Amino acid sequence: MAPRVGLRSLEKRRTLIDGVRSNIHVLMLGVKYFVNPRRMTLVYPREYPKLSEGYRGFIILKKEKCISCAACARICPSAAMKMIRVQEPDPKHPGKAKMKQYPVINYQRCIFCGYCVDVCPTEALYHVNYHDIVYDNLADMFWDLETFQREPEYKTAAEGRPVRIVIHEELGLVKVPVEDKA
Amino acid sequence: MAVHEALAAIIGWPPIWQVLIIGFIGSLVVSIFAVWFERKAAARVQRRLGPYWASPRLGGLLHLIADLARYAFQYPIIPRRVDVVPFLAAPIAGLIIALLPLAVIPFTSNPSYWPLPPAAMEYSLLIALAIATLPPIFIIAAGWASNNPFAVIGGVREAFIIVAYELIAILGFLGAAAAVGSFNLVEIVAAQEGFKWLILLNPIAFLAVFIAIVMSTSAFPFEIPESEAEVVAGPFTEYSGILYALNMGGAYMRRFVLAILTVLAFLGGWQPLTPGEGLLWGYILPSIVVVAKAVVIVLAISFLRAVYGRYRLDQALDMAWKILLPLALAGIALGLIEASIGVV
Ligand code: SF4
Ligand code: SF4
Repeated sequence: MAPRVGLRSLEKRRTLIDGVRSNIHVLMLGVKYFVNPRRMTLVYPREYPKLSEGYRGFIILKKEKCISCAACARICPSAAMKMIRVQEPDPKHPGKAKMKQYPVINYQRCIFCGYCVDVCPTEALYHVNYHDIVYDNLADMFWDLETFQREPEYKTAAEGRPVRIVIHEELGLVKVPVEDKA
Repeated sequence: MAVHEALAAIIGWPPIWQVLIIGFIGSLVVSIFAVWFERKAAARVQRRLGPYWASPRLGGLLHLIADLARYAFQYPIIPRRVDVVPFLAAPIAGLIIALLPLAVIPFTSNPSYWPLPPAAMEYSLLIALAIATLPPIFIIAAGWASNNPFAVIGGVREAFIIVAYELIAILGFLGAAAAVGSFNLVEIVAAQEGFKWLILLNPIAFLAVFIAIVMSTSAFPFEIPESEAEVVAGPFTEYSGILYALNMGGAYMRRFVLAILTVLAFLGGWQPLTPGEGLLWGYILPSIVVVAKAVVIVLAISFLRAVYGRYRLDQALDMAWKILLPLALAGIALGLIEASIGVV
């Protein structure tokens, strides 16, 4: 097929009238928003986004489900999860101890990718739906086996008001307060 | 004469009062407020919150005090390769000269509180404009003395802008002078008696003057010499601490002084107040009215930051020479026509 030949006119140069009109338009728009601001800023510690279940937040271990397969430690891309050995009473031979392996996590390294949770064959690992926890020293971010089984305290929820952010066609982002069920 | 009377006499002497109290202290307060308004207005328009956490009840106003304190106590670094004397002198001289027009601007129609003798008052608009055109030289000097490519580019941009806006500002003010037929600011204000303000009679000249002020004090959309994205901080790249604050504050103070001049020439000066006798009615109240009107202009200029981006140098010059210069000339023509048919 032969290429189609056609005339296309250049875009018209903006005239002075156009310039004046668009300047007035932008100023009016500015005044409109100035008088009636539609702020989207999340005033963070006072309001915090309520994240849905299934959000990839902190990871918690259910120790009784763990079968010590070490799949989580092997798949971890940032080597945050490590297996440790602990001595436990052996259920088959009462009175005797046996060594068992469990994962522990280093939150300095964890990137919250969730691979460990996905790969765990017995669902011994699960996510909580928050991630904004501040530690004032790095050593606290190494979780030992005890810490790894407890959900960390979510201090933001104690101070702030949960909101859900929804997208509105006209207003942009809108914050809708939600009731905290916890 | 007791000491406090002598002090009151010295401070009450119009040139001292105007440069120190209205000029220095007043414009410091106004510029702090204007910077706060600028950030807050831009935040409102852009759907943000702006300064907030320093003082949630005051809308973050204390942020600016904190900024000022930071500048004041920061270690001012003087690089080894700068030209030290001009480097130090430029911001200080620029600031002082930016305030000097206030020493000739009348704030009242009561002759005993004029800063100049009545004979010199005849040319007060010209003298004030002449002084007001000086400070940009010091911005260029600051850029030149800094011995830094960004600073030099910023200084050259400032030079381009000066050449363009100065003519427009002066021609715009001449529009007011032509309408009234006098360079005497007191007469220009007196001619606007009864809400015949020149902004209504001669909006063209006012628009030219307004845009020229925006350009001259490098406010948005003409913040070309200091555009961070391109030339760091333009002529002030090498400055730090209090010297940087002087440079930045100098722009706001110049804006304030030019706004006062605009208020007198176009917005009816101290009207609707009629200055009477005595310090309070004859001088302080009229000057408060003038300053209040000037603050409105300064805040209007600050508001522009919220809606405009930055023009390129060539776009700004294009606009200045092709649109604003004819506009200013048309303003003079309109003023002359109004004067000849006797509207003013
Ligand atoms: S979430 Fe990812 S990075 Fe963190 S421990 Fe699990 S696998 Fe490792
Ligand atoms: S993958 Fe699951 S079962 Fe296997 S070691 Fe990790 S936590 Fe335990």
